[in-house]
Amino acid sequence: MLSFLLRRLNLLLITALILTIIAFAVDRIVSVNADAVVSHNGYISQYFSYLWNILNGNLGHSSVDNQALLDRGLIFFASTLELCFTALIFSSIIAIPLGLLAGLFRNTRLDYGIMTIAIIGLALPVFWVGVMAVLLPSVWGQVLPVDGNLSLIYEVPVVTGFLLIDTLMVTEQYELFAFIDRVAHLILPALVLSFFLITEIVRLTRHSMTMVMRSNYIQAAYAKGFSRTKIVFAHALKNALPPIIPQLRLQLSTIISFAMTIEIVFNLNGIGKWLFISLKTGDYLVLPAGILIISGFILSFSIFIEILMVIISPLRRGSLYADK
Amino acid sequence: MRLICLLFFITTLSGCYQNKALTQNTLIYCTESLPTSFNPQISHDIASLDATTHQIYSRLVTIDSKTNKFIPDLAESWQRSDDKLRYRFTLRSNISFHQTDFFKPTRFLNADDVLFSFNRMLDYQHPYHMVNNQAENYFYNHPFTNLLSEINKIDDHTVEFVLVKPDVTLLANLAAHYAVIHSQEYANQLIQQGQPENLDFQPIGTGPFKFKSFDSNGTIRYKKHALYWQSMTNIQNLIYFTNPSATKRYTKLLSGECDAISYPAASQLETLSKNKNITLNSKSTENIALWAFNTKRDILKNYQVRQALSQAIDKKTILQAVYFQSAIQTDTLLSKQSWALKPRFENDQYDPDKARQNLTLLNYDFSKTLTILLPDSSDVFNPNFHKTAELIQANLGDIGIKTDIINLSGAALKARLRSGDYDTYLTGINVHINDPDSIFRPLLSCNSTAETGNSSHWCSPKIQVLLDQSLTESNFAQRIKNYYQIQDEIYKQRPYLPIAHVLRLDAISKSILNVEVNPLTGINFQNAIKQDLN
Repeated sequence: MLSFLLRRLNLLLITALILTIIAFAVDRIVSVNADAVVSHNGYISQYFSYLWNILNGNLGHSSVDNQALLDRGLIFFASTLELCFTALIFSSIIAIPLGLLAGLFRNTRLDYGIMTIAIIGLALPVFWVGVMAVLLPSVWGQVLPVDGNLSLIYEVPVVTGFLLIDTLMVTEQYELFAFIDRVAHLILPALVLSFFLITEIVRLTRHSMTMVMRSNYIQAAYAKGFSRTKIVFAHALKNALPPIIPQLRLQLSTIISFAMTIEIVFNLNGIGKWLFISLKTGDYLVLPAGILIISGFILSFSIFIEILMVIISPLRRGSLYADK
Repeated sequence: MRLICLLFFITTLSGCYQNKALTQNTLIYCTESLPTSFNPQISHDIASLDATTHQIYSRLVTIDSKTNKFIPDLAESWQRSDDKLRYRFTLRSNISFHQTDFFKPTRFLNADDVLFSFNRMLDYQHPYHMVNNQAENYFYNHPFTNLLSEINKIDDHTVEFVLVKPDVTLLANLAAHYAVIHSQEYANQLIQQGQPENLDFQPIGTGPFKFKSFDSNGTIRYKKHALYWQSMTNIQNLIYFTNPSATKRYTKLLSGECDAISYPAASQLETLSKNKNITLNSKSTENIALWAFNTKRDILKNYQVRQALSQAIDKKTILQAVYFQSAIQTDTLLSKQSWALKPRFENDQYDPDKARQNLTLLNYDFSKTLTILLPDSSDVFNPNFHKTAELIQANLGDIGIKTDIINLSGAALKARLRSGDYDTYLTGINVHINDPDSIFRPLLSCNSTAETGNSSHWCSPKIQVLLDQSLTESNFAQRIKNYYQIQDEIYKQRPYLPIAHVLRLDAISKSILNVEVNPLTGINFQNAIKQDLN
């Protein structure tokens, strides 16, 4: 177990180092004029002081409003994560039942129907669907908000950065209205983002369900004379769902990058819009900070999932002893 | 399938996520750009005026939007001395400044505040004179410098304005956006705190709304000023939100996230005017786009040549291609709402054949290339100079005149204007006060240079006399007569070809009543009422 953890952490460390080198390079390129004075120190020593700053949680300050980049970046990133998470819930609610059905009734009309919808979802560019969604008020009038994180009526102080939590902290002032407003603002962007996820989850669930239904113990259960309903609910489901999770982990970076596009379309204050606006206003120091925050998160999250999978799934535990 | 069901379910929810009690007293205005400061004395762009003039501040006098007459605001009344040099204003008593987190006033408005507000602009030694001031737009910030010699405090509630020479535009200037009244007490407090620049960014005034916060996302929040001296609305919170995308503003108006939006895109105007839930407010402004002929050039010295060239320009196409529906075609320098406009029965006719004939009769040298000078960036009076220039180029090409388009910006443009080395110049004028003199003087006075507006290098003794006379003329009818004469002369002499008067457009939800838009001083939410339409 220990050697497995060490191996994983080793991987994390090396990848993180490579990332900081990239971030440092970007940082140097954009701030080459700003501190030409210190450049005679040589890049190696500069890099180490840069690394030291990062370890101390100092990613520098914005050249526009002089705020600490790490703090601001994390607040924006929290809102991006909130969007991704909501989209994940939406798509799971929609896609898992569809995928299971498609897997159960493989090669039937139902299967083809579901898969057609899924493929269409994959074929539609996310930002295009976003732009279409933004135009919805022209069709159905005052129904759902299409712009911003939260209605301007509410003034919610930033505590965690996760607005769903922050709005629950101001219930004294606004009751639950701020929270409901936040949920309403999340619905459309999360739905658009879940388009892509739905396709992935449907395909994964369908595949996994098919595999399970073909396996020997299901055949054995049929042979024992169990009803189909009992087999599906008692045996198949339990084994079909867990393999999807590590597969989804691989989609994390795609989801986040789509979320960043969606933010720009829906004018949400997330890390995507932050980077976009900063680039437009020439605040290039935000760029390496953004790289570090996003990739740092993806890196540690995927390693965390891997470790978690090893702990909960007996099959995977085999990789603990790979060196033996 | 379920997605469709879900969507259907959402549609039936129909906006019930909103808290009626809160939305009822909050008005959200979605604007195009951020204000450059919160003081109309130093910022003259429309975004700054919209965010400040009527909301935060009050002035001594204002103009009644219906009758166009000067009515008292912070000044209760005023008298003019017999020599026409002194105006005495009596201030209202018990006018309180805003109470905010950053300032708690201890006294009511008095003469010191008025003196402070004007001396900041006039007095070069004033501690606030240079605060936040950009040297570049210095001239425009000081419309009073050539007008006033001094301002005296007679007692706590009386101030006296002393003019350099008799000038009837004083009241118009006092009603202009830059004549707002600040709190001297607040200014002193800021000096003590060592942050005088906050005067223009954390404003204190006497207007119906007090400033609450401004964040970098472009959200400005105001709260109702409870002690405002006039009757007020049911709006408790006023919020401005900046969104540069016209499509976004339009969608947000439809989705109910904005109650009013500024500058809808030209392409949306038709659908907007058909929408029953939205009022489209269009106000013609005095801002005008012009094509100036450099009258000092040999080739353009003859007024008949200038007239013939004007005939060759197809303004209708320019309006359609450059302005869409955001401007109205014009043949006069003054706009339709100006009291000095001389009604005209013969209009400019677009007639290229006649233009060519006339030019041939005048022995015009068609081999010469005419230069069209234009600024690089767009301006309030012209969204696209280059396109306009290209259309003019095509029109002139039709009658056989070759043209050169010269794009210049900033200092290069100024230098070129000063040298006078150009034949024609695409320009316009951005008018701040409601007085014909503010258009005619920069364009036509001999004292005005090409940089300050007179890009046709026009100087005629006759017009100069008329301009100067009207400035001191207290007989209103005579003043109008003078301006009529000027207009006749200019129409004949043609130093400028007026192209379009620009419109100011706002789309406002039907649930909001009584929003006033003044094309000169900005939008006014003082009397706005929000009603529940459901």
